[in-house]
Amino acid sequence: MTTALTLSGISHDFNGEVSLSDINLSMESGECLALIGPSGAGKSTLLTLLDGRLKGWSGTASVLKKTLDANKPPQRNTRADTGFIFQDFALVDRLTTYQNVMNGRLGRTKNWASVFGHFSTQDHMIVGSILRDTNLAELADRRVDQLSGGQRQRVAIARCLAQEPKLILADEPVSNLDPALAEKVLQLLTGEARKRGIGVVFTSHQPELSQRFADRIVGLRDGRIQFDQPTHEVSEGTIEKLYFGSSTEPGLRVVK
Amino acid sequence: MHRTVTWLVVVGAIAWAALTADVEMAKFAKAGPRLWDFLSRMVPPDFTIWQDMLRGLAETLQIAILGTLFAVILSVFFGVLASETLMQPYIWRSTRALLAAIRAIPLILVAMLMVGAVGLGPLPGILAITFHATGMLSKFYAEAIDNVAAGPITALQSAGASRQQQLRYGIWPQMAPVILRDTVFRFELNLRESLVLGVVGAGGIGLYIQTYVRSFQYEKAATATLTVIILVLLSELANGYLKKRVT
Ligand SMILES: Nc1ncnc2c1ncn2[C@@H]1O[C@H](COP(=O)(O)OP(=O)(O)OP(=O)(O)O)[C@@H](O)[C@H]1O
Ligand SMILES: [Mg+2]
Repeated sequence: MTTALTLSGISHDFNGEVSLSDINLSMESGECLALIGPSGAGKSTLLTLLDGRLKGWSGTASVLKKTLDANKPPQRNTRADTGFIFQDFALVDRLTTYQNVMNGRLGRTKNWASVFGHFSTQDHMIVGSILRDTNLAELADRRVDQLSGGQRQRVAIARCLAQEPKLILADEPVSNLDPALAEKVLQLLTGEARKRGIGVVFTSHQPELSQRFADRIVGLRDGRIQFDQPTHEVSEGTIEKLYFGSSTEPGLRVVK
Repeated sequence: MHRTVTWLVVVGAIAWAALTADVEMAKFAKAGPRLWDFLSRMVPPDFTIWQDMLRGLAETLQIAILGTLFAVILSVFFGVLASETLMQPYIWRSTRALLAAIRAIPLILVAMLMVGAVGLGPLPGILAITFHATGMLSKFYAEAIDNVAAGPITALQSAGASRQQQLRYGIWPQMAPVILRDTVFRFELNLRESLVLGVVGAGGIGLYIQTYVRSFQYEKAATATLTVIILVLLSELANGYLKKRVT
């Protein structure tokens, strides 16, 4: 196994308001990691950083063997290497399922040819096979604003897979879905990632989903890592303390 | 308190208009029969002038089409300048103020000024429509730009899309239907408004109406009026059809 990401001494603030504080974290490729913690803990901020979209942080970060620059967004190919799944799906409403999934190919295909509407046979083949994997083939020509929430998130997952990422970052991918659907969609996401040997970092407000699908859970609070343990070692008490304990309590930190 | 003032102003305005306008009540009484006389002289309409009507219509259409085309070109430019998301506040604010000022000038006034500047014919009509429509269309285009959702664009950027690809596959699909709808809407307005431009000498079918009325050829004026009505109804039908297609 190779290292998917290494963060050391990462700190960040929004105009003085601390969002990340001395984060040290590493992850093997192929691992599935859940990032949990109360609202405002810094989960989204950390994922945005890993996606190369956060500016002005300090520390050193390397994702998929490439060092991130806190002041410069990464190149096209590097951006395509990390796939991102958004809570609100972030699809282009007026385009069809097929077109939205094809949008995932943009970072991998020829720039100007694609601007003029041309995608390679390989692009079409990849999109076709992913649509089958995600059970979306019958919905290929439907506009995505005519799909249900669960279907839309499946399209977003398909778009992410189409970009052939080496790491998937998912920010509350299922919190807009009902519980049964949430489980199915998370199953699809982690299952497809495992099949391809891709690592996943996802955030969630449902600890039981994290425990079901992640190999490892990282607890974040006030921008600090409170614990970082294999899922089977994480106790109910640890999770409860993360959400309900007083924030000044230092005894909570169990860093592996 | 506020309401009392409002009512006083309304009543005062009506009283002022009724009492001081140079309209004798006796004339009101006579207006009925005279209108009737006028209308009865319009029947039967004289359809022998259909070739003139076609020529007038063609010119009106030309004015509307070219006026819309030039307004679209200018509005792309001013629309970008008036966009809150693309421009610094001082730029979009001053552009929007300018556009509001343009919209505040009635078209017929612009047309008169243009006739004064470049002479009679369709050219002043085209210029007037261009000027007037740019005021509205630029604002619509700016709003179309500002209403583009940022989330999907961020998603494409994250997927590795270049600026051009983001424009083509994220921004354009969101904007195009809105822009198309606004442009068609403005074209219909341009068509309606250019019908009367002839009255001030700026070309089109309005010129014929004015000539016929001035020379007391009411049967011909009636034909021209019918032509205008039919054209407006047709454009309304076409617009309704397009609106259903574009969502
Ligand atoms: N764009 C922003 N501008 C200013 N402050 C921000 C911004 N985004 C986040 N913050 C702040 O940074 C901190 C971390 O926010 P972040 O969104 O990462 O939390 P989160 O763990 O994802 O929370 P949630 O579970 O509610 O999504 C919070 O204090 C938040 O107020
Ligand atoms: Mg968040």
